[in-house]
Amino acid sequence: MLFSSIPFLFYFLPIVLVLYFAAPKVGKNMVLLLASLFFYWWGEPRYVLLMIFTIVFSYGCGLLIDRFRGRALSKVFLGVSVVGELAVLGYFKYADFFLDSVNAVLKTDFPMLAIALPIGISFYTFQTLSYTIDVYRGEVAVQRSLIKLATYIALFPQLIAGPIVRYSDVEGELYTRRSGIGDVSDGLSRFVIGLSKKVLIANQLGALVAVLRGTGESSVLMYWVIAIAFALQIYFDFSGYSDMAIGLGRVFGFHFPENFRYPFIAKSITEFWRRWHISLGSWFRDYVYIPMGGSRVAKGRQILNIFVVWFLTGLWHGAAWNFVLWGLYFAVFLLIEKLWLYQYLEKLPAAVCHVYLLAVTVFSFVIFNGVGLSGVITDLSGMLGLAGGGLVSEKTLYYSSSYALLLAAALIGATPVVKIAAERFGKSKLGAAVMPALQPVVLLVLLVVCTAYLVDGSFNPFLYFRF
Amino acid sequence: MDKQKVTAAILLGAFGVGFLGCVLHQDQEWSLSERRRLAQKPILSAQTLMDGKFMKEFESYSLDQFPLRETFRNLKAQVHYYVMQHKDNNGIYLVDGSLSKLETNLQQESVKSAADKFRALRERYFPDSDVYYGVIPDKNYYLAQEKGYPHINYKKLDAILAENLADMERIDLYDCLGAENYYKTDSHWRQETLGKVTDRIAEHLGVDVTDFDDYSETVYDQFHGVYRGQSALPLPAENLVYLSNDILDHCTVHHFETGKDTGIYEPEKLHGKDAYDVFLGGADALLTITNPNAATERELILFRDSFGSSLAPLLVKDYASVTLVDLRYVSSSILDQFIDFHGQDVLFLYSPSVYNNSTMLK
Repeated sequence: MLFSSIPFLFYFLPIVLVLYFAAPKVGKNMVLLLASLFFYWWGEPRYVLLMIFTIVFSYGCGLLIDRFRGRALSKVFLGVSVVGELAVLGYFKYADFFLDSVNAVLKTDFPMLAIALPIGISFYTFQTLSYTIDVYRGEVAVQRSLIKLATYIALFPQLIAGPIVRYSDVEGELYTRRSGIGDVSDGLSRFVIGLSKKVLIANQLGALVAVLRGTGESSVLMYWVIAIAFALQIYFDFSGYSDMAIGLGRVFGFHFPENFRYPFIAKSITEFWRRWHISLGSWFRDYVYIPMGGSRVAKGRQILNIFVVWFLTGLWHGAAWNFVLWGLYFAVFLLIEKLWLYQYLEKLPAAVCHVYLLAVTVFSFVIFNGVGLSGVITDLSGMLGLAGGGLVSEKTLYYSSSYALLLAAALIGATPVVKIAAERFGKSKLGAAVMPALQPVVLLVLLVVCTAYLVDGSFNPFLYFRF
Repeated sequence: MDKQKVTAAILLGAFGVGFLGCVLHQDQEWSLSERRRLAQKPILSAQTLMDGKFMKEFESYSLDQFPLRETFRNLKAQVHYYVMQHKDNNGIYLVDGSLSKLETNLQQESVKSAADKFRALRERYFPDSDVYYGVIPDKNYYLAQEKGYPHINYKKLDAILAENLADMERIDLYDCLGAENYYKTDSHWRQETLGKVTDRIAEHLGVDVTDFDDYSETVYDQFHGVYRGQSALPLPAENLVYLSNDILDHCTVHHFETGKDTGIYEPEKLHGKDAYDVFLGGADALLTITNPNAATERELILFRDSFGSSLAPLLVKDYASVTLVDLRYVSSSILDQFIDFHGQDVLFLYSPSVYNNSTMLK
């Protein structure tokens, strides 16, 4: 079930809200767990058993790791947990990619398994891994209540597209949490803002990309507009989803970590990754990069560590070589910055740094969005004027001008300008008088307009569902 | 009440009202504006629940049966068009109060395939007939070109047809029409304005047609065209006019599919799903207009799309019969089971969208 769908907004959510707030304190986790399993079953009836298996497996491994703490068996059960969970992820997500790659390299003909990808498997696998690893490290206490652990893993607000909430983030809130009127108000406000980012901006940018792809043109302008529109689309799509998840979590009394902090205003790739998909970056840092030695090792090993982490980051995003290339592309820039460029970037004018950041990230999302490596090459060639379609073309001009206001709004919305302006206005005399009435009205209008766009059957995919 | 309480109350209220609206809403069977059947409540069973069919169909159902659906569609159209300044909504654009649908890519293979189909039909059924063809320009030809909207390459379309239909006589209709000859909210042309078109066709076919001054007009003033529904923009109703005279009043129309005989116009359809169906009863695979008062014994076979429904009655004066064939609904391989081909005049007349999507021609 998509958050940005009528069944979620006007059937599932109202019912869950009523049940949750009507339930006694001791029953709230159970309400959330059942609602979450229903939510997952609605979208993936076949795989709800896989989800339950993952929960029970992690629960058992956690108990055993704790039971044998200080003994070799504890490490064994950690290994079982990590290997088991990665094996499930590997089978469901990467089996065909692996077979296809083997066939390509060895000229073999292994048939594809054609396994449907369970929604959100990359997210909940990383969450369960963080739990068992943290239990082993002694950073969190083992969870002896299956209901509580299941609630954490299956929690529907963050189940299928993050942020990657670690057990330690919500450990305390699984026991006691409060959801007052302020939480409901702030949570629903955040949810509506996320919904608007998704429905009113990301979906429309997606429609622009799709319609331009369908024109059959190959002008330089077309490839650039597609590249910029897609970079903005994926930002608003994913950050919108994160906003919705964080907002819903807040309604139910959870405080999920932030996942995006205006990444496009960064001045370097290093900073960009501190602002983009923060929960994934910090997960790889804490569970892969640092255990490999991080930057406290010889330079050669450090470089290897960085490449391994970004190879895995790319692969996490999708079972295709263009995602691996995407990860390694960032590894190269991060290394260049780490070894040489960063010291100069700090001294350069901000505008130059922004241009550098935007150019690198826009090209990166061309790699990300390409249909296989050949698609990436086609798109990059087009951007560099090698596709033979001229500089501008009629249909691209039409659609670019038709979507000009949206593109402008998206560009501005990708910066904190609106937020800062709203905060400043709120602090002014007029703002202080008007904002209490204006804010709820604006949110209501946004919700109504989003509903109108959904009812009209607009373009509505979620990009991060494939991860 | 402080801001947080107001915000929580308003948003919770909105979700609650939405929920009650969805649950209490009386399901509708048909969307008049979109001319389509709406999704109905899906069947709940262990099978549909386990294979996910119920969930998938429920998504469609919840969209189609959303309370105040038309109002929400209209709101979206207005925000999209007027606030966000998009130049079209759902591919429909508005110029000078007239709606039209963007069609931007010419499918050259499709056009060639249509021409191949015409040639094959001629070889099989009417090798000795006088055969004519033409393109009915769509509204885009006049609106899009002039107002800077993308459009198909009409010259290329004509060139492909000319190259592949060299042994048929081309009837050029482009200069017979303008944007004003089309309904503002629909794709079709207005019958009462087709004087130049009928004159041009008659000139090529070598027949006479009724002078437009000799027709009487019947006006239906509540016509909402198909583009109005698709765009969801609140344009006013317009007039739909159909022309009659003594000759047309005495013509009968035989519908092969149903076996029924009717008049040229079916006024009861003005109040149905599509008022344009008043012309020959709407979409029909095969029908014959018989004119007992024809000035000659000549007959015409018109291979046509929906534009032909309003055009054909205007061509009957000299024809004892006009047979209309819509290859979108009947296979060309079985035509001789219904039509006795014996040297009738043959005219292929289609709008660009059919040439551009000719796989629909059976």
